Amino acid sequence: MSTMDRALSQGRTCCLSCHWLVTLPRGGGGCRCPRCGGKVHGRIEGSVMLTWALTITGALLLIPANILPVMTVVYLGSGEPATIIGGVMQLYTAGLWGIALIVFIASIAVPVMKLVGLVLLLLQVQGRLPINPSQAMTTYRIVSAIGRWSLLDLFMISILVALVDMGAVASVAAGPGATAFASVVVITMLAVRCFDPRLVWDTYYGNPYRNAGPDHRAPAAAGSRRGEKSDPIIKEPPEEGVAGDV
Amino acid sequence: MADAPDVPWSRRQRACHECDQVLGDAVAPPGNKLECPRCNATLHRNPRGSVNHTAALSLTGLLLFFPSLSLPLLSFSILAFGAENTLLNGVRALFAEGYLWMAGLVLFCSVIAPLAKFLLLGFISLGCHWRLLDRPVTWSVRWYQHLKEWGMLDVYMLGLLVALIKMSDLGKMQVEPGLYSFVAMMVISNLTTLSFDQQAVWSRLERRRKRAPGPSPGEGPLVGSGEQL
Ligand SMILES: [Zn+2]
Ligand SMILES: [Zn+2]
Repeated sequence: MSTMDRALSQGRTCCLSCHWLVTLPRGGGGCRCPRCGGKVHGRIEGSVMLTWALTITGALLLIPANILPVMTVVYLGSGEPATIIGGVMQLYTAGLWGIALIVFIASIAVPVMKLVGLVLLLLQVQGRLPINPSQAMTTYRIVSAIGRWSLLDLFMISILVALVDMGAVASVAAGPGATAFASVVVITMLAVRCFDPRLVWDTYYGNPYRNAGPDHRAPAAAGSRRGEKSDPIIKEPPEEGVAGDV
Repeated sequence: MADAPDVPWSRRQRACHECDQVLGDAVAPPGNKLECPRCNATLHRNPRGSVNHTAALSLTGLLLFFPSLSLPLLSFSILAFGAENTLLNGVRALFAEGYLWMAGLVLFCSVIAPLAKFLLLGFISLGCHWRLLDRPVTWSVRWYQHLKEWGMLDVYMLGLLVALIKMSDLGKMQVEPGLYSFVAMMVISNLTTLSFDQQAVWSRLERRRKRAPGPSPGEGPLVGSGEQL
C-alpha cells in the first residue's frame, strides 16, 4: 500500500450516489454529476464539523432518552412508566432474557457504540489517534450498518400502543423519552451519512490537494474532457513516504 | 493493486467511494463482487439478471403491500377485550396521543420508505428499457440511493416479535393473516435490494446512448467532467 493515486489529487472524485468518476471544475468547489445529476464535492462539505455537531447533539439527547420514561404499561389499573433500561430489566426478571438481550443491544448498546465510534473516527481524522486506517474503516462500516436497528424499540412501542388498548383493563402509552430516543436514532444516522470516510485516508497519506500544485483541483480536466489525451498525471510518491504497512 | 505502476490514463476509471483510490473500471463477473484492494469496500456487486429480477421482485412487493397494509398483523385479547394491530393504526394511536414526530418517523420507516423503494425500483427496472424515460430513471436511481437505508421492514419485523413475546404473559396474543403477508413482503424487500445493481442500469442507458445517433437530449457529455454549479 504505497501510492498517492487518490482521485482528488488528480482533480477528480467519485460521485457518492452513482460511483462515477467525476472531474471537478478547475476553480474548485462542487459540481453536478454528469451521470446521475447528484451534487459532487471533492469531500463532503463541512463533513467533520457537521458530524461533530450531530454527534454531540445525539450524545446530549441520549440523556433524556434514558432518564425519561419511554412507555407506560397499565394493567388492571396499576402500572408505572418505564425507561429503556427499566423495560430491559422487566423482560429479564420475567425470564425472557433472549428478548431482553435483543432490546438491550438495539436500544442501549447500539446508540452508545455508534456515538463512541463516531467520536473515534472524528478524532482519527483530526489526527489525534494512532489507529490505522483499516481499523478506522471497520469502525465506520460497523457504525453505518448497525444504526437502523435501534429503531426496534420505537416500532415495538407503536405496535403495543395500538395492540394493548383496552381502557381500564390494560393499556400502553408512549412516554416523552421515546421522542428523545427517536431523535437520537435519526441524528446519529444522519451523522454517519455526513462523515466522509475518505478523510481517514487523507489524514493517513497527507492532504490530497498538496501534490497537485497551485491550480490543484483539476489538472486533468482539459485532457479528459476530450476523452483523448492520455497523460499519467501524478505518479510521484508522497514526500514523507508511507507511514507504515496497513 | 495499489502499487500497480503506470496504468495508462484510460478514459474509464473509477475511484473507490470510501478511500478515493483510483482504480480501473472493472466490472464484477455475474454473481460476484468487486472489492477495493486498499480498503475492502464493495465497489460493485453483480447479481445475475439484475434488471429483470428487480422488476419482478418489486412488482411482487407492491402487490404484497395491499394485504400487509389492510390486514391486521397481531391481535391481543384479555378476557373479552381485544385489539388488533395493523401497520397504520400504531401510527394513528401515536398521532392521537400527540407524539407527532414519533408517529411520523414510524410511518416513514415502516410504510413510506419501503413503498417508495418498491415503486422506484419497479420504475427503474421497467423504465430503463425506454429511451424516453432516461431522465426520470436517472432521477429515481439517485433518490433510491438516498432512501434505501430508511426502509426498515426487517427492524419492524423484529419489533413485532419482541411485542409478541413481551405481552404473551399478560393476555392472549395471536398471529393474524396480515403477518404472513408482511413477512413475505419483508423478505421480498430484502431480495429486491440485493438484486438491484445500479451499474447495470447505467450501462444499459449508456449502451443505448452510444447506439443512438447524436447526443441524447438533456444529457451531459459521457466523459466524467461535471458542469459547474
Ligand atoms: Zn453520480
Ligand atoms: Zn477503497
